Amino acid sequence: MLGAALPSIAFDDAGHGYDRFGLSPSALRVAFAAAWPLYRYYFRVASVGAEHVPKAGAAIVVANHSGMLPFDGMMLCMDVAQQRQRALRPLADHAVGALPFIGVAMQRIGAVSGTSTNARALLEAGEILLVFPEGVPGISKPARRKYRLTHWRPGHAELALRHKAPIIPAAVVGAEEQFPIVHNSKRLGRLVGAPHVPLPFLPVPFVPVPLPVKYRIYYGEPIVPEGDANDPSAVEHAAWQTQNAVQALIARGLRERRGSFW
Amino acid sequence: MSRLKSALVTGATTPLGRSLCARLLASGCEVLAVGLEAESAARFLIPEAAAYAAADLAKPRELHDLVFGPAKARSIDTVFHLATHRSLGVEGERVHALNVEALRQLIAHCEAHPTIARLVYRSYAEVYRVDQRLPNVIDEEHPLDHGAGRPQWLRDRVEADGVACARMGMTKLEIAVLRCADVFASGTGSQIYDYVRSRVCFKPLGFDPMINLLSLEDAAEALFLAGAAERGQGVFNVPGADTMPLGLCIRSAKRIAVPLPGPLLLPLYALRRRIIRTEFSYGLYKGRMHFPGILDGRRAREVLGFQPAGVS
Repeated sequence: MLGAALPSIAFDDAGHGYDRFGLSPSALRVAFAAAWPLYRYYFRVASVGAEHVPKAGAAIVVANHSGMLPFDGMMLCMDVAQQRQRALRPLADHAVGALPFIGVAMQRIGAVSGTSTNARALLEAGEILLVFPEGVPGISKPARRKYRLTHWRPGHAELALRHKAPIIPAAVVGAEEQFPIVHNSKRLGRLVGAPHVPLPFLPVPFVPVPLPVKYRIYYGEPIVPEGDANDPSAVEHAAWQTQNAVQALIARGLRERRGSFW
Repeated sequence: MSRLKSALVTGATTPLGRSLCARLLASGCEVLAVGLEAESAARFLIPEAAAYAAADLAKPRELHDLVFGPAKARSIDTVFHLATHRSLGVEGERVHALNVEALRQLIAHCEAHPTIARLVYRSYAEVYRVDQRLPNVIDEEHPLDHGAGRPQWLRDRVEADGVACARMGMTKLEIAVLRCADVFASGTGSQIYDYVRSRVCFKPLGFDPMINLLSLEDAAEALFLAGAAERGQGVFNVPGADTMPLGLCIRSAKRIAVPLPGPLLLPLYALRRRIIRTEFSYGLYKGRMHFPGILDGRRAREVLGFQPAGVS
């Protein structure tokens, strides 16, 4: 069980069992133990290439984002903890931190508001980041656009160049089908103060849990971008390299699977 | 570490001032302690080996005479400016004169002084803005809190910080601004210390931000190092060794944490301030009660060699 691997996960203790961002290994242990049935029996996560994730030192795992709710991030974190005994630090939208209870829960399991200063502090401490360059538009893209990467933001590439951190491309195959989205409603979004609200295939009260799709996670070979972090073309090139690598891993995952549920 | 021979400390009768005087004397430095109190009263507060001068720094003439009188006679090389109004409840021109104008004039006098080479100004972590869109780790380039409707306590601190920063590198006087985390001790004007003095501490429901506390000894050490370092000009964050969630801080102080919806806390703490005349202001501290705002002490560590030891 995953909880057994966690005591060995290193973290930057700020003195009272928490790191500066609020990560608590004991909370992480509880969260992973609670989510273990999801990882093992519900999504039946299978991963390939985890040896590309370094066991120590600063690195950035860059993956596609999908599925309305961020189960893909949770499964990636659990998989890296399981395979490499490391706590991934997901960079989340700043709005997550403003949510009562959820914001605290996310902090305790290692999520951090996605600002360059936070990312810099984590990379300097030798931590491993999880970045979804597609952001919120990624998890809310409609079913007809599944497995096609949306607008790919280059911030991760700049971070990698600035901090000489390798990028590990990763693809999550299966998550796109867990909550098929039929439409993004801008009108509802205006009501709740968001750009849009994704409407799943059934009304929300009838889809309290995601579909039991099979998750396949593919890690690619590390990319060590070269160039000046202040050179826009070098940043764009590194981001393009990563995007291509992730898209290739997605294509491989789609080729190798028999269907969404097995 | 040998450049610091003779120091002037304003605000010397405060807890932090006393700790700094003791640290300077322990290093073999001569100290001219400055306070508002008459010498007979101040003698109980400052170390015996320190010389003392009473001066009201809000009065320009007294400040001038201090710098070009006793400070000149003692060939002071470093000035530590700690004197500010601690109370949030007191406002007005006199408070501004001490918090801001005294620093402005002190810098001008130090620049014209024959022996003073460095001024170390104790600033506050509260000058930084904390909200959901900003980084949780606060480096020295983090935005300052210029929000409308902020109390004079904060406006003065932000202005004084800016006054000190604006003169950096303009003359031979080296200026170090130390933005210190909340000094968790009585009589320091600490918001969080005052907050946990209540038996019951109300906190926003659904939030448990990380906070950082600095001990008196660590604050004094950081100030000393800023005065003693060979290269000491600049702005430095001074975090403490204790970083923990607010809830744990309340439990460690053996207090009861009662989570309440955020909008209730503002009137509740305003009432508390009015009834029992406490210093904690929820309005001032609201951002830090919701979102982490931890000082990044990398620059102080690399340039000054400062590493916090912890709460004693």
